[in-house]
Amino acid sequence: MELKTYWKQSLPLLCVHIVCMAALAVFLLLSGNSADSVAFILSIWAVILTAYLCKAYYSRKIYLEKLLELTRQLEERYLISEIMEKPDRIDDQIYYQILKMAGKSMLEQIASVKCERIEYKEYIEQWIHEIKTPITAMKLICENHRPEMPKTLTKELLLELERTNRFTEQALYYARSEHTEKDYSVREIRLFDVVHQAIAENKHLLLNYNVRIDVQETEATVYSDEKWLCFILNQMIVNAVKYRSEEPQLRFFAAQSGGNMILNIADNGIGIVESELPRIFEKGFTGKNGRNASQNATGIGLYLCRRLCDKLGIGITVTSSDHHTVFQLCFPIDDFIREVQG
Amino acid sequence: MPYRILIIEDDITIQTELRTLLTGNHYDVSAVTDFSETIQQITEQKPHLILLDIKLPQESGFSLCSKIRSFSDVPIIFVTSCSTDMDELNSIMLGGDAFITKPYHTAILLAKIASLLKKNYPQSEREVLECNGAVLHLESGKLEYRSLQTELTRTELKILYYLFQHAGSICARADLVEYLWDNQLYVDDNTLSVNINRIREKLSAIGLNDFIRTKHRQGYMLWS
Repeated sequence: MELKTYWKQSLPLLCVHIVCMAALAVFLLLSGNSADSVAFILSIWAVILTAYLCKAYYSRKIYLEKLLELTRQLEERYLISEIMEKPDRIDDQIYYQILKMAGKSMLEQIASVKCERIEYKEYIEQWIHEIKTPITAMKLICENHRPEMPKTLTKELLLELERTNRFTEQALYYARSEHTEKDYSVREIRLFDVVHQAIAENKHLLLNYNVRIDVQETEATVYSDEKWLCFILNQMIVNAVKYRSEEPQLRFFAAQSGGNMILNIADNGIGIVESELPRIFEKGFTGKNGRNASQNATGIGLYLCRRLCDKLGIGITVTSSDHHTVFQLCFPIDDFIREVQG
Repeated sequence: MPYRILIIEDDITIQTELRTLLTGNHYDVSAVTDFSETIQQITEQKPHLILLDIKLPQESGFSLCSKIRSFSDVPIIFVTSCSTDMDELNSIMLGGDAFITKPYHTAILLAKIASLLKKNYPQSEREVLECNGAVLHLESGKLEYRSLQTELTRTELKILYYLFQHAGSICARADLVEYLWDNQLYVDDNTLSVNINRIREKLSAIGLNDFIRTKHRQGYMLWS
């Protein structure tokens, strides 16, 4: 509350007092009082009035600043009406009531939106589980009837099925990345088991584009969630194939550095323009290569990777030139867990 | 005697296709058709292994699993599209032996089945394959012919294993490559040729000439 605006607000009151003072002065002078005593009375009046106004200003200022500070400290500020004391002033009480009503109606709105979102998420998850049954069936049909069907046909179908599965997985993880508390479990996993799993899930894609795979296997273990990590690796493999060069090659190797286990996923593709590097994990960002009509990138894949990595505590970085890209997943090695487990 | 596998899955297409797949891999397969008498069917058939879906009519796979566990230790593989960690945890707590999510890779499914059967019904006989006097020792990774032996690398062993299993029929190069990929050997077309040539050298060193034949534009075939 600024002093200036406060004075402005008190202007009507001041005017009334000035008029009253003037009237009193005229009356006192006319009834034969000396100018000195009139001046004395008026100055007393002025002092009392000023003292009152100052006191009112400071107590109001302290009250309002306390309220503001309280609101600032609150994490969920819309709950201020539940926490603040009930004011004494009559007009404050009205505002207090309005604030309470507004807060309540907003909480109801939020609750119903939250409820809708949860229902929608559950529906999406259920739908994804259901769609997986026909995908599985189609896959089995393709693999069982290989001898009767033309080679190229099964190959193409399996390739498309792999793609369908990837898109459904992406939707599933997108839905899950919003509410993650219950959906992952961190345990000790062999890093290269997950790498093999991710390669297996993209077998037809990699074979189709003759991608050379080089896995420098070690026995490294990390603490993470297997399925999430597999999804992240899937995205990187798909990207490597999307932005491949003439003789595509994909290398997986791990290295320990300081307190971290680092998994490198290196390809020899067309790379990422340096100016775009900082933005590739942003939602909806499609770079120069991604906008290329044949790729129709959505800008979701890497965004999701980063979100999942953040939740799992994995560091994700990328380096690139015009003939290679290296993604690094950095797993902190938790000495504490190791010591506890002996 | 082939192992008996019981499929408990309500989706008819998947049921039929799983049956085809498993029968093709030399298992004796039956499937539950009436889900009100599942337990009875299990006690009657005494399968060596059960493939169990979680979402089933009448009763969920979880409760079925705990019921089965009350009278039998038969290995159970959960095959499901529910892929949350809670489901996986539940399945293990209730006594399931493995958990595979749809859409599964047939290679992985078959490998899981084989390893569970091997673990639960250990057989004393050593695993060997034989074709025209050539004997492939899987455990030691050696090929024996007329008391001469040659050692094989992992890739070579897997290639020969595949060819031995399909002895007498043509194995397409693409199928062979895919099989190797399923076994985590990421071999491309050129490397396959290199490996085949190396195998041929090793074979002729122990007196096996012309054992693997090349069928032009089709693939390889074991002389039989």
